[in-house]
Amino acid sequence: MSTRARAATAIALATALACNQGLEPALTPTSCPRDFVGVCGTVSFVGQVPESTAKVFVVAFDTFPRSQNDLFKFKPQLNPAILPLGGPPFFYTLPLPPGRYEWVLAVWQKQGALSPTNADTLLRETGFYRDAGDTTPHGSGIVIVNAGTSTDSIDFVVDFNSMHRVCDYFPPCP
Amino acid sequence: MSLKSSPVLVLLVALSSAALQAQSAVVYGTVTSAQGSPLPNANVELVGTALGSVTDRAGNYRMSGAPTGRVVVSARFIGYLPAFDTMTVVADDSVRVDFVLTPSVTQVDDVVVTLPPTIVTAAKRSQLLDQAVTSVAVVSDTDLARRAVNTVDEAVDKAPGVQFLNGQVNIRGSTGYVQGLGSRVLLLVDGVPANQGDRGGINWDLVPLEDVQRVEVVKGTGSSLYGSSALGGVVNVITRDLAAGWHARVRASGGAYANPPYAVWRFRDYTGGHEGLDVTGSYGTDRVRGGLTAGGWHSDGYREQDRQNHWQGSAKGVWLPRPATRVTASGSWASDQSETPLIWCSSGGCDDRGQAYQPFMIDTTGRGRFTRSDKGYVTALVERTASERLAWQARASWLRTSFTDLHQGADDFGVANRLGAELRGTTRPAAGRVVTVGAEVARSDVRTNIFTGDTSTTSGVIRTHTQGDFAAYGESEQLFGRARITAGARVDYSAVDGGGLSAVVSPRLGGVLATSRGAWRASVGRGFRAPSLAERFVSTTVAPFRVIPNPSLRPETAWSVELGNATRVSAALHSDVAVFWTEAYDLIEPGVNGSSIQFRNLTRARLAGLDVALTAQPPVPRLTMALAYTFLYARALARDSVPGAPLAFRPKHLLTLSADYRWRAVSVGGDFRYASRFERVELYPDDARLAGKVLDLRAAVEQGPLSVRCRLANALNYIYSQVPRTLAPVRTLSVTLTWTY
Repeated sequence: MSTRARAATAIALATALACNQGLEPALTPTSCPRDFVGVCGTVSFVGQVPESTAKVFVVAFDTFPRSQNDLFKFKPQLNPAILPLGGPPFFYTLPLPPGRYEWVLAVWQKQGALSPTNADTLLRETGFYRDAGDTTPHGSGIVIVNAGTSTDSIDFVVDFNSMHRVCDYFPPCP
Repeated sequence: MSLKSSPVLVLLVALSSAALQAQSAVVYGTVTSAQGSPLPNANVELVGTALGSVTDRAGNYRMSGAPTGRVVVSARFIGYLPAFDTMTVVADDSVRVDFVLTPSVTQVDDVVVTLPPTIVTAAKRSQLLDQAVTSVAVVSDTDLARRAVNTVDEAVDKAPGVQFLNGQVNIRGSTGYVQGLGSRVLLLVDGVPANQGDRGGINWDLVPLEDVQRVEVVKGTGSSLYGSSALGGVVNVITRDLAAGWHARVRASGGAYANPPYAVWRFRDYTGGHEGLDVTGSYGTDRVRGGLTAGGWHSDGYREQDRQNHWQGSAKGVWLPRPATRVTASGSWASDQSETPLIWCSSGGCDDRGQAYQPFMIDTTGRGRFTRSDKGYVTALVERTASERLAWQARASWLRTSFTDLHQGADDFGVANRLGAELRGTTRPAAGRVVTVGAEVARSDVRTNIFTGDTSTTSGVIRTHTQGDFAAYGESEQLFGRARITAGARVDYSAVDGGGLSAVVSPRLGGVLATSRGAWRASVGRGFRAPSLAERFVSTTVAPFRVIPNPSLRPETAWSVELGNATRVSAALHSDVAVFWTEAYDLIEPGVNGSSIQFRNLTRARLAGLDVALTAQPPVPRLTMALAYTFLYARALARDSVPGAPLAFRPKHLLTLSADYRWRAVSVGGDFRYASRFERVELYPDDARLAGKVLDLRAAVEQGPLSVRCRLANALNYIYSQVPRTLAPVRTLSVTLTWTY
């Protein structure tokens, strides 16, 4: 093989090697991934999923909401963890900045255009993390996320037969 | 006072008569290949005038009404190097100029190809590329044909310093990724602004690729001549000239998308394909020419919910009523009906098969989304070279875009119009001086249910918003020995919904110095982008947030400095190097506040870097190689309590390597593009981020009127994503058959 042909082969080989490390399949994790910052856990499902379901997702609040105005102070704001609509237990990962969280919950969203004024109609709390040792209102468990680490085993049940409107927490309901 | 006795009219008649008498020369000749074969459909132009012609089947051309004095004639043909000739034309004379064109890749071992002088219109007039004060990349018709692409954005994508992110163009990192709302690059079609009137984005399929002669990419701020949106650069699409006689072209294409490389990612039980057909026909005489293009294509897409149908048509007519006067009317229309694949499915968002993500599938919340998009423009242009010293042009244009997004719960729509007019004059008042002045007016409106400006959450609101713009500009170039100094400015006035006028002034100072070490260029200028009507008035819900309007948005502005050099390093190597520095103010970005999102003037940013473009003919016969590299430092500066951070969606390194080899009728080539991993992304910062590493291969056979071109884009099927949870195109095979009459 001539020097020129060897050089061309080397360039082609280097190019091929450079391009072979794209995205690859990755199994849904069963524990918090390494270098992940946030909370993880397993959600179990109970009940029949309503036909009008748009989606179900997990979010967290620093402090338990005290008014309707606090309802949009959840984290993460733009990419909550989406849950499947029923089925076998599901392991979720919820990226969160380090801090103390008083309420980690699943939210059921009904089909329709959502706005702050119709949140009562379209959103339901459908399950949240509980810790009997905690003394926060409504029995929700406090979760701590430390810098650079993740908090595992934040497990809870999503019960489609027992969903609560937002106004249940700030009565009276209309 | 009767008209006949009007002294002004008498003077005008006398002047025009004198001008006509001085412009009756004819330039004619033939264009042939080195083997003596006539080259039909070659473009022949009188540089710096409106005069042009296209050769007939025997390779003959004829241009009447050439101005007297010293003129430059150019001849171009796909696959050949342009040729130029300079001569002195005398009134009533007939001058024969024959051109013999050489292939763009030499077929002679020992001959080194000299890079041709390239004409660009970055300064709103024809000038040589090495006389432009800012960096300009040109994608020629040869490049377009060689790459066998289907749309303009595919053709421009590999230009030095240019990167596309899901259809959104970045020139030196100007725009990032803002999902189509507000481009910091201005699209021109034959000099006519063509950004959407409502969203400010760009429809790259507005012009059929069949109609495109070349694309000029002006890097850096161009607002001193072009106004808003030219903050990061200008992309000017130049359409083909029309030839005398009958001409036709049929272009059929087809191909297939690679299936997912892993079985667990399979989402359909067939191989997706794409196919298209375009037909172009034209007829022309010395005085009147017209052409029509019609076509369409279908694509199955390379991922779930990605099917698309596209229909397009365009027309162009040219009337040459008198010497040195040219009237052009043109228009284009395109319609797309496309499924809309939003973000890919992550664990739990679909039938994920136990995977953390499924890049070929979409999240169930985005199921059923569909978009219908129609866009078109018509424009009329009058160009006249009144004398050796004065040329002017006037144009009027109408751009219309409409879209309907169908999705669960509610449909969004917008119908936007942009009516524009421009009057421009270029004069040479003294030796070595060129002055360009002009004025532009435009009126944009949008009728919509999403950009309403409605602050309540009432559904079903439909509103109309309008924006009026007026601008005046001027630029003067003076030759001082080997230096050309350019100074100019543009002032833009704008009023939204009949409100008060706001003004932005965009000056620019530049120069080019020809030395033994090449041409040095330097420029400093100010650019701006007025907020789009969509950014001002968007009112919608991105669950669970309410996106609220901000009518008081101010324009983004930037100061940009560039220093560059273009030189022939050796007989076989040409280089173009530029350093650039941009200080940007008040960049418009969405900000979250409680339960609402609002576009605000948030970011103060700095973008600086280096552009290198090398073209070489290595000591291998019939081979050309090119390298383009851009280093980009792009950072949002600290403000209030927010610390500084890299600007999102900007690669620090952007590298393109190209090689082409031609042997007689056969050519093969390829491009390799590397875009480094983004330092920062938005929405899903925890997702895996990868560098872009894409290899495109191509091959072609040309024989007489037939050509067959194959393109294998992303040949190594590198699976990656550069915008949030959106799979970049996979390996795609395209075969294009073109017949030209």
